[in-house]
Amino acid sequence: MIALKNIEKVYRTSTIETLALTNINLTVRAGEFLSIMGPSGCGKSTLLNLMGLLDAPSTGQVEIGGQPVTQYRDVDLARLRNQKIGFIFQSFHLINDLSVLDNVEIPLLYRKGDETGPSRRELARQALEKVGLSNRMKHFPSQLSGGQKQRVAIARAIVGQPAIILADEPTGNLDSAMGNEIMSILQQLNADGSTIVMVTHDESMAKRTHRLVRLFDGAMVGDSLLMVNEGR
Amino acid sequence: MWNKKGSHLLIIVEILASFLVLFGVTSLIVYNLQNYREPIGFEYKNRWSLGFDSRGEADSTVGDIMQQIKSRVLSYPQVEAATMFSNNIPFTMNSSNGDVTNNKATTLAQQFRTDLDMPRTLGVSVLEGRWFDKSDELPDARTLVINTPLKKALFGDEPALGKKIAFGGVDDKRKSADYFTIVGIVGNFKPRGEYQENLPGLFQMNKGPDRNYTRSMLLKVKPGTDAGFEAKLTRDLGLLTKGWPIEVSYLENQRTNQHNIALVPVIIFLIVSGFLLINVALGLFGVLNVSIAKRRGEIGLRRALGATERRISRQFVGEMWVLATFALVLGLLLAGQFPLLNVFNLKSSVYLTAIGVSVAVIYLLVTLCALFPSRQAATVQPAVALHAE
Repeated sequence: MIALKNIEKVYRTSTIETLALTNINLTVRAGEFLSIMGPSGCGKSTLLNLMGLLDAPSTGQVEIGGQPVTQYRDVDLARLRNQKIGFIFQSFHLINDLSVLDNVEIPLLYRKGDETGPSRRELARQALEKVGLSNRMKHFPSQLSGGQKQRVAIARAIVGQPAIILADEPTGNLDSAMGNEIMSILQQLNADGSTIVMVTHDESMAKRTHRLVRLFDGAMVGDSLLMVNEGR
Repeated sequence: MWNKKGSHLLIIVEILASFLVLFGVTSLIVYNLQNYREPIGFEYKNRWSLGFDSRGEADSTVGDIMQQIKSRVLSYPQVEAATMFSNNIPFTMNSSNGDVTNNKATTLAQQFRTDLDMPRTLGVSVLEGRWFDKSDELPDARTLVINTPLKKALFGDEPALGKKIAFGGVDDKRKSADYFTIVGIVGNFKPRGEYQENLPGLFQMNKGPDRNYTRSMLLKVKPGTDAGFEAKLTRDLGLLTKGWPIEVSYLENQRTNQHNIALVPVIIFLIVSGFLLINVALGLFGVLNVSIAKRRGEIGLRRALGATERRISRQFVGEMWVLATFALVLGLLLAGQFPLLNVFNLKSSVYLTAIGVSVAVIYLLVTLCALFPSRQAATVQPAVALHAE
């Protein structure tokens, strides 16, 4: 589903060069629930950004669905992100001036297809129902709790039915109860067929995924299959 | 975007003010351009005007002396034609006008007093009827030649030849002897040049006691006639008139002066409004730059969710167009009063064209102001833009 081959990412300013990732070779298979762990600054989010085509590697190749995408134009990358990938961020990244329903609808606005305004809104409603927020559709993000915001973000990530969901510390800003709730939703999405890659600092959340990749100083230092623990 | 009422109100007011200034300047330009497209109706190249100051001469003799001057002038081989003309000769600031009526409508008309040779001297064509002839020189002949705008103002599409008109308003009391018969219709006659509105005008025969008040003459000279002839002419005519001061002017030069008088205010307004628009553009650009910079996180998010760079640019331009539309709707409510109330007696087409041009310029301005900062923001990698929030 996602393959990273010989990836290196260097951030350069006029005076400083920072190696964020080096020699990354990683394949995420369809239907997998993979977690990435490591200390702060080890390159977890950078790795997730490369998988999500939000950033380009300095060297190496990214493949999505078997197709190398490193040389893709902006418009092709945007289409891939829109159709194949859903994003969940630690800080939710909801647009405060838009209602919950409008926030969830955003990915569909960028989809070239048959969806009309009413059908887009119907799909957004269905996504919100899936995360249990159908009663908050007309609220604004400022009127929601952290857990609710993250559920809106999940609804936004799944509204376009992407094959891949990339979650960057989705429980990082939530208390443990809310975190567990979000994790359960992600597990359910994975059970329904979504491939999920999640960056986390929380060992207990990582243990609820199929596979754990550990990073240290930009390098992969561990890649292990896990016995899925459904417990909380 | 749509909850930021304060900053949006500021942008709307800024755009509204620019629209109104632009509308004013554009109206002025459109008015002048529309006038410019209407021919002035006479020739000015190789035409000279002679102005005489009869000083202490008894008025009763001026008419005869002017006739002698005309005969003398026509005796020079350099002069192809000459005509007496009232003091409101073309391209001067002098004017003579008054109301004329056909007892159904009244309009203000410029009035010119001239003679049989005016069409030949100024290259004026008679479109209908005839120019004055010897029969009009008889004391009881009361005839007029009018121009097309006067015909339209008084008769519309009805024929005007043979109809009678009089000076004054519809309700003024007058005798049948006060009426003049229209014997000819000429096209335009715009004595102040191309930028003058095509105003109604009429021509009267220079005869009887009125001849004594005519102290100007127009000449058609051969191409290449130079200042040497001008000096000889003034010297000879000085001897003939026993020292009347004579002022010789070239209509071509006078026309340039008139154009300057018409264009200088337009240019000044244009410069002032140009600076204003530049300031508004810089202001909008600054406001948008800050606003777009504040929304880099949102841009990153939208890019992550599938928006292309172009789509992001289009979104910001679209948002600015919505704000501009709010401002323009307000502006149109104000500007729309000008054609409705016929302000300054200008044609509706002047205001409507100015509104159209101003709306287009405003949309162009906000597009340019929004395009650059939004394009810049959209080209940032989504990961970097997301990090900005």
